[in-house]
Amino acid sequence: MPLKWVFNWQPNAGSTVNSQILNEVSQCVESMNGVKEGRWKATLTFYKPMLRDQALAGEFPREFIGISLPEQPNKYYFILRVNKIVLEADSSIQLIMEKLQSYKSRVALNFEGFQYQLGDFQLRVGKVVPTHSENLRGIVMEVEYLPISSLEKSKLIMDEFVDIWQDAVSKRSLPGHFMHIELNFSDYGLADHYTSQHTAVQYAHVMGQLIATVQAVQAGRN
Amino acid sequence: MLQQHQHQHHLQSVVAAAPNPSSSSTTSTTPSSITGEAPPKQVAQAMDRLGQAARLIADIRLGADRLLEALFVAAQPHQSSKPLHLFRQEDESMRQHLQDLRTVGKQLEESGVLNESLRSRSNSWGLHMPLVCPDCAVVAYAWKRQLAGQAGASAVDRTRLALKAFTDQKRRFFPHLNDEEDGESTDNVSKKHRNLPAQADDNQDNLSDCKTLSDLLTNLEKDMPNLKVMTYERLDWLKRASSLPAAANDNTMEAPKHNFHSSHILRAAPQNVVSMDKIAVIELFFPSVFRAVVSLHPAGSTDPDSVAFFSPDEGGSYMHSRGSSVYHVFRQITEHATVALQYFLGIRSKTALHSLLHWICSYQTLFTKVCNKCGRLLAMDRQSALILPPVHRPYRTFSASKVLSTQDQSSNAPEAYHISCFSDDAALALALYCNRLR
Repeated sequence: MPLKWVFNWQPNAGSTVNSQILNEVSQCVESMNGVKEGRWKATLTFYKPMLRDQALAGEFPREFIGISLPEQPNKYYFILRVNKIVLEADSSIQLIMEKLQSYKSRVALNFEGFQYQLGDFQLRVGKVVPTHSENLRGIVMEVEYLPISSLEKSKLIMDEFVDIWQDAVSKRSLPGHFMHIELNFSDYGLADHYTSQHTAVQYAHVMGQLIATVQAVQAGRN
Repeated sequence: MLQQHQHQHHLQSVVAAAPNPSSSSTTSTTPSSITGEAPPKQVAQAMDRLGQAARLIADIRLGADRLLEALFVAAQPHQSSKPLHLFRQEDESMRQHLQDLRTVGKQLEESGVLNESLRSRSNSWGLHMPLVCPDCAVVAYAWKRQLAGQAGASAVDRTRLALKAFTDQKRRFFPHLNDEEDGESTDNVSKKHRNLPAQADDNQDNLSDCKTLSDLLTNLEKDMPNLKVMTYERLDWLKRASSLPAAANDNTMEAPKHNFHSSHILRAAPQNVVSMDKIAVIELFFPSVFRAVVSLHPAGSTDPDSVAFFSPDEGGSYMHSRGSSVYHVFRQITEHATVALQYFLGIRSKTALHSLLHWICSYQTLFTKVCNKCGRLLAMDRQSALILPPVHRPYRTFSASKVLSTQDQSSNAPEAYHISCFSDDAALALALYCNRLR
């Protein structure tokens, strides 16, 4: 499947993310002849185990993430970031977990926004909001290059696209920039050929960054 | 229309001069058509009606124009009811014209002009109704021999002229296409080409060993380590293309994480199983970069006739040498490749396949080689407003040896250009090329 890079908005020190930034970014895409196609939405959930004996809590991983992606409506992805495990399951697993009362959702977030087509590139710009809330927590962006699936072969192309993109965004003097983490997918047992599991892993890491940012802001306040 | 009137007058004078059994045999010999008149008169009437029909058609055309005009005027602001009035007027007259045309048409049909029913009737003096040929030429003369001769002659003449024009054009623009009547081999075709101005093809000297298709392909595979070459009979390719996994269906559920070479599951039969003289499709696959499909015509020969590029992950029955990829980058390359193919065929058709295949291989650096003009990999193409890598690789000064060198940025490596970067240089090159042709 076509490969994709996921970016996270990194606000400058002392500034926070707001919806004006999101608007500016969307306008930037449109200025590059991006054609708005439709909406997209992904969800990310932090699970905690339902234990009778709380003492056992230490044996369970602290961060157990479940992700649903719009391009795979029948699948659900689990990631354990510390243990570098990613698992693709059928989407009915959520129902099973609920029935078994094994894991409960602790925090759930939505990534939602618009999708744009730029020739062979597909861009998604989205806001990060907790479900049932309009509180903007972050901004994410996906850049997908449709013709090929090899991460290795596409690296130069994606690098250059990011250059073009950063050029366009910097003209708007926004208080921050988009960041992409180079991940080592082989740690997760993933190959060079791109799949939705790669996407899930990227989102889990983006989440980690978002948390770090929020914590940094809070630490700054205290 | 003037001609028809002249014919009419001519016929009438002929009728007047000829012996006149018509008056006595009118009722018995004429066909039981409505008119009950002698064939010459029928011919005259038919010519008349044809003229009428032509005039009505012209009127209808004019009417249509006027209607459109009225609509256009009505669309302008600040109009009175004038356009509406015009419209109504035209509408009425159009309907009348159409009705009249129908009437005339019926009459013509009944008298056999439009359906040739009279030709078979033997008792009509040898006079036949004017013949309206399928290409709308009206053959007026009713004398049997003349009619047959004229209609036949006109048809034959027209065909002969058309065939001549077509053959001339074919010889001029597609000199490499074989004439089947000559039953010739590729050698004869290249003999014809010695009359064309010779281009700088001194690079092609080593190609004399690659005469057969299998030699060519074997050598190619040897030279290009990343390349997978597969050959097919024409129908086998269709099966293969349809069974290739399309990118959207790339399901990761079944395959384990370390093994995503799904396209390898559908490898074609090994080359020695397909008999060489049936090979019609060559597939060049650079994993993760592209898949090119070349068609040979006739099968088993070394004459390519079309080429197309596709994504390595594309699949479907639309993937063939005259098909089009769903991705812009590969569509652009395919367009460029089609022109390159014509160039290779025009220059030296014997080595066209060799040149083409090596030239295709120069695209293995599609996603890594920067443009020789601007030094970047991606650029926004002004014309299509798309961001593309350098999709042009020059073919005029192409030499197979360039491709065989390493894929790095050395000066010997094949050049690559963005569409806009290339067209500036290409304009100059084209001008030089045209000068040499003169």
